Amino acid sequence: MKKLLALFMASMLLLAACSSGSNEPNGNTGSTGTDGGAQVTVWAWDPNFNIKALNIAKEAYAAENPDANINIVENAHDDIIQKLNTGLGAGTTSGLPNIVLIEDYRAQGFLQAYPDMFYDLTEHINASEFAEYKIGPTSFDGKNYGLPFDSGVAGLFVRTDYLEQAGYTIEDLQGIDWKQYIEIGKKVKEATGKDMISLDPNDLGIIRVMIQTVGSWYMEEDGVTPNLVGNEPLKEAFQLYKEMMEANIVKPNSDWSQYVATFNSGDVASVPTGNWINASIKAEASQSGNWAVAPIPKLPDHPDAVNASNLGGSSWYVLNIPGKEQAADFLAKTFGSNVDFYQQLITEVGAIGTYIPAADGEAYKATDEFYGGQSTITDFAAWTEQIPRVNYGMHTYAIEDILVVEMQNFLNGKDLDKVLEDAQNQAVAQIR
Amino acid sequence: MRRFLDRFKFHGLFVKMFIIMVVSIIAVSILITWSTIRISERLFIETFSITNSKVISQINSGLESFNYSIITASSNILQNGTIKRFLTEGDSDSLTMFKAFYNMNLQMMQITSNLDAYEVSINVIGMNGRSYASNRSNWPISDNELKQHDMTAYTHQQPKRLLYHLDHGDEHREPTIVAAKALMDRATGNIYGSMYFAIRESEFRRFYASYTSIGNDVIVLNRSGVIVSSNQVNLIGQKANDLLAHAIELEEQALEYKDAYVMGKEQIVLSDYLSSYDLYLVNLIDKQLALGQLIDTKAIVLICIAIVTGALIIVFLISRRLTKSLTRLVKQIANISKYEFDHYVTVSGSYETRQLAQAFNSMLDELHDYVKELVQTQKRQRNAELAALQRQINPHFLYNTLASIKIMVQQSSKEKAAETINALISLLQNAIGNVNETISVEQELVNLKNYAFINQVRYGDRIKVSYFVAPDCMEAQVPKLIIQPFIENAFFHAFNIKPEGYIYVMISRESEALICEVADNGDGMRSEAGRKLPKSQSKRQLFTGIGVRNVHERLLLLYGEPYGVTITSEIGGGTRVRIKLPFIQTKEKTKF
Repeated sequence: MKKLLALFMASMLLLAACSSGSNEPNGNTGSTGTDGGAQVTVWAWDPNFNIKALNIAKEAYAAENPDANINIVENAHDDIIQKLNTGLGAGTTSGLPNIVLIEDYRAQGFLQAYPDMFYDLTEHINASEFAEYKIGPTSFDGKNYGLPFDSGVAGLFVRTDYLEQAGYTIEDLQGIDWKQYIEIGKKVKEATGKDMISLDPNDLGIIRVMIQTVGSWYMEEDGVTPNLVGNEPLKEAFQLYKEMMEANIVKPNSDWSQYVATFNSGDVASVPTGNWINASIKAEASQSGNWAVAPIPKLPDHPDAVNASNLGGSSWYVLNIPGKEQAADFLAKTFGSNVDFYQQLITEVGAIGTYIPAADGEAYKATDEFYGGQSTITDFAAWTEQIPRVNYGMHTYAIEDILVVEMQNFLNGKDLDKVLEDAQNQAVAQIR
Repeated sequence: MRRFLDRFKFHGLFVKMFIIMVVSIIAVSILITWSTIRISERLFIETFSITNSKVISQINSGLESFNYSIITASSNILQNGTIKRFLTEGDSDSLTMFKAFYNMNLQMMQITSNLDAYEVSINVIGMNGRSYASNRSNWPISDNELKQHDMTAYTHQQPKRLLYHLDHGDEHREPTIVAAKALMDRATGNIYGSMYFAIRESEFRRFYASYTSIGNDVIVLNRSGVIVSSNQVNLIGQKANDLLAHAIELEEQALEYKDAYVMGKEQIVLSDYLSSYDLYLVNLIDKQLALGQLIDTKAIVLICIAIVTGALIIVFLISRRLTKSLTRLVKQIANISKYEFDHYVTVSGSYETRQLAQAFNSMLDELHDYVKELVQTQKRQRNAELAALQRQINPHFLYNTLASIKIMVQQSSKEKAAETINALISLLQNAIGNVNETISVEQELVNLKNYAFINQVRYGDRIKVSYFVAPDCMEAQVPKLIIQPFIENAFFHAFNIKPEGYIYVMISRESEALICEVADNGDGMRSEAGRKLPKSQSKRQLFTGIGVRNVHERLLLLYGEPYGVTITSEIGGGTRVRIKLPFIQTKEKTKF
C-alpha cells in the first residue's frame, strides 16, 4: 500500500513537472552602446558624395584624435528634414545627431525657427575663409551656425563638338548673357538638330541660377517677405524662360534620370547647372574631350550682373545638445581648416568645397582631359568667389511650388505682371 | 563467488523487487512525459494553426486593400486622356512638349497621391519612348532595362491583367515587387505602353512582417515556385518547388494546415492563395523552434530524473527496510533448523516480520514444551518399569533361601537359622517398602550385610565382604537397593574360577558426589569399553528383577548425566564397579 502510494505520488509529481514545463522568453536585449560620452553622430544623405566626404573627414580627424568616436549615419534627405522637424518641433533632442547636413535653401528655415537648437560656430571657424555667398544661408542674427560645405557654383557645361558645327568655340561662351545663350542655342539647333537645354517643368532651378547672377531671390533680404511683384530680375528670368521655349531649343524631362539621359545620350548641347553634375556628365566616357565648362550666363541689362551663380549646395550644422564641443572640433579641424583634406575631397570624391585657402592646393590646379584639358576645378573655385551673396530665406521651395504653376500660366499666355502678382498673393497668403 | 551467490540468495527478494520498481518507475515516467509532451504539442499546433490562419486572413485583407489601391490607380492611369496623349503623341515644339510634360506630371502626382499610404512608385513607359517615374529612387531601374524586362513582355502577352512580378534587383536596387499592366486602348485593342507599380520587397514585407517571429516565417510564392517575398531575406528570389507543391495541395484539398518537411526542417505549413495577386502566401512554423519555446526538454528531463531518483531512493529505503528484516529472519531460521533448536529469533523490523518472528518463537516454545513432555513421559515410563523390576522379589531367591534355612533347621543349627531368617526379614522389609524412597547409607549397609549374610549362609563364606564407609557418608541418601545388584553380581560371577576372595564395598564423598565402589579380587572379565555389564546368566539367583545393567540406566534417569556406573575390570585382577551419586543429606522422596 505504501509502495503504491509512493508510486502514485511520484507519478503525480511527474505530471505536475511536465505540465509546468514552461520557459521564460529569451530575454536578452543586450544593446550595449559604446561609451556614449565622446560619440559624435553625423547625419547626411548621398553615400557617393556626402557620406564619402564624411568618411575621409573621419579618417583625417582620427589621425590626430585617435580616441574620437565619429558615427556616420546615412539617411535619405527627406527623412533628415522630417526627423529634424519632428525632433526640433517637439523640443526633444533625444535621437537627434550631433552634426547634420542641411541644404542651403532650407537652412534659414531651421535656423530662424529653432535658433537656440543650433550651436554657434562663430568661434570655431573663420567665416572670411569661406565663399562669401555661403555665409548668408548659414548665418543668422550675425552668428555663423553652419560650416559651409560643398559649392553649388554653377557652370555652363557645353558640347564643344556641337558648338563647332554651329560655328562657335568655347571662347564665344565666355561672359555671355542668357539672351546670347538663346541665340547660340538657336544656331546649334539649326546646325545639329539638338536642343540646347533640357528642363523639367516642375523644377525652376534655372530661374534661381539666373536671378542669383544679380543677387536677387524669391524673397527680400529679410528672407521672409516674398519678393515677386516688381522683382525685375525675376521678371526677366521668366521672360528668358519663355523665350527659350519659344525658340524651340528646350527638351523637356520629368525627373533626374531623364535629365541625365538627355546629355548622356547627346540630345542636348549644354547643361547650365551646379558643378555637382560633373560626375554625371563624365559617366558617359565616350564623350570625353567633347565637353567644356564656361561661366554661367548672366542676366542681360544688369550692370552688376556677374557670370557666377549657384545651384544647390549644403552645409554642416551642429545641434545644441551634449557633445557639441566635440562635434564642433571635428568640423573645425576637417571641413573648417584642413587644406589637405580638401585636396583629398577633390581627388577622391570630386567635391568642390567652399573653403577658399584650399583652392591654392595642387588638386585644384589639375587639368581634366574630359573637358579638353581645362582646369575645371580652378575655374569653379574662381567663380565660387564671385557668386553674389543671397539670403535664401525660409521659403524658397514653398514659393517655387507656386511659381511652377504660375510659370505654366505664363507660358499659356497669361500676362507676366499678373502672373507675378498672383504668385505674390499666393505666397503671402501661404507663408503668413 | 559462492559468497556472492549466498548473498544474492538472501537479497534476491530485495533485488527482484527493486529491479521491478526501477523498471516500472522509469517506464511510467517516460510514458507520462512522452504523452504529456505529445498532447501539449498537438494542442499547441492546433491553437497555433488556428491563430495563424487568422493571421493569414488578416495579411490577406491587408494585401487585398493594397491591391485594390493599385487596381484603382491603374484604371485611373488607363482612363486618363492626358497620360494617353503624353505616351502616344510624337515630339513637337518645345513649348507643346513642355506643357505635355507638365500636365503629365500633374496627373501622375494626383494618381500617386492615392497611393501615399504605401511606399509605391509608379513607372509608365509609352510606345513613343516617353516615360514617367514618380520616384526613381524607390525603384532605380532605367527605362531601357525596363523595356527589355521580362515583365514588360508579359504585360503585352496578357494586356488585360495586372500581374505581380519580382524584380530580383542587383547591387544598385533592392528586390522589388512590381505590379505591371499594359496600357491598352480598350476600343481598338492597341497597346500604347505599360505601367509599373513598384514596391520594394522590404516594404511589401511590412504587410506581414509584424506577424512573423523566429520559427514563424511567411513566404510569398508565385506560380512558378519563385519566392517573391519573405521575412527570411536570403530566400527571396530562390525557387521552392516543394513549398509550391505543399501550397497547391493545401489549396486543392482545402486543408487548414499540414505538417511537412521543408527547408530542411519539420514545419507546419499554412497557405492561402492570393487570387488577385496570383501568389501563394505561405506561413511556415518551425515545429522544433516553436515547440522548443513551449517545451523546455532539458528542464523536463532534469525534473524527471530528479523525481525518478527521488522515487527510487524512497523505494530503495522502504523495500530495503522491508526485505532486510525479512532476510535476517530467514537467515536466522535457516541456521536454527540446522543447528540449535532452542535458539530464538530476534523480534525486530517491520510489523509483518515481527509477527512472523513471534509466531516462529512461540512455535519453538510449543515444540520445546512438547518435546520436554515427551521425554518426561518416557522417563517416567522407564522409571516405572525399573521400579517395578526392583520391587519384584525373585521367588527363586526366596525359595533357595528358605531351602537353606530348612536345611539349617534340620541340622539343628537353630541359631544360624534364626539369624538367617532375621536377615531375610529385614531384607524383605526394606525391599518391599516404597521403592522410590531413598534410604541412608547406613540402612543400605544393613541391607547389604543382610544379603551378604544370606548368601554366605547359602553358599558358604569363601567370599568375604568388607565395608569401608566414610563416617560423613553415613547419613547420605541413596536410592534403595542400588549397590546390592553389584554385590550380587560379584557373588555369582567373580569367583567362578577363583575358589575364594573378597568383595570390598567402599563409600566415600568426593566433593558434591557420593562415590560407592564395589570391588572384588575375582576372575575379572574382558571388557573393552569397561562399560558393558555382563548379562545375568540366570535369573534364578537374582534377588530382585533389577539387574546390574539397569542400575546405570536408573541412575541416569534419576540424577542425570554426570552420574552413573563405571566398571573397570581385568582378567584375573578382579572387577571394580564405581557408582557415582549426588551427595544428598536429607531424606527425600525421589522425584518419581
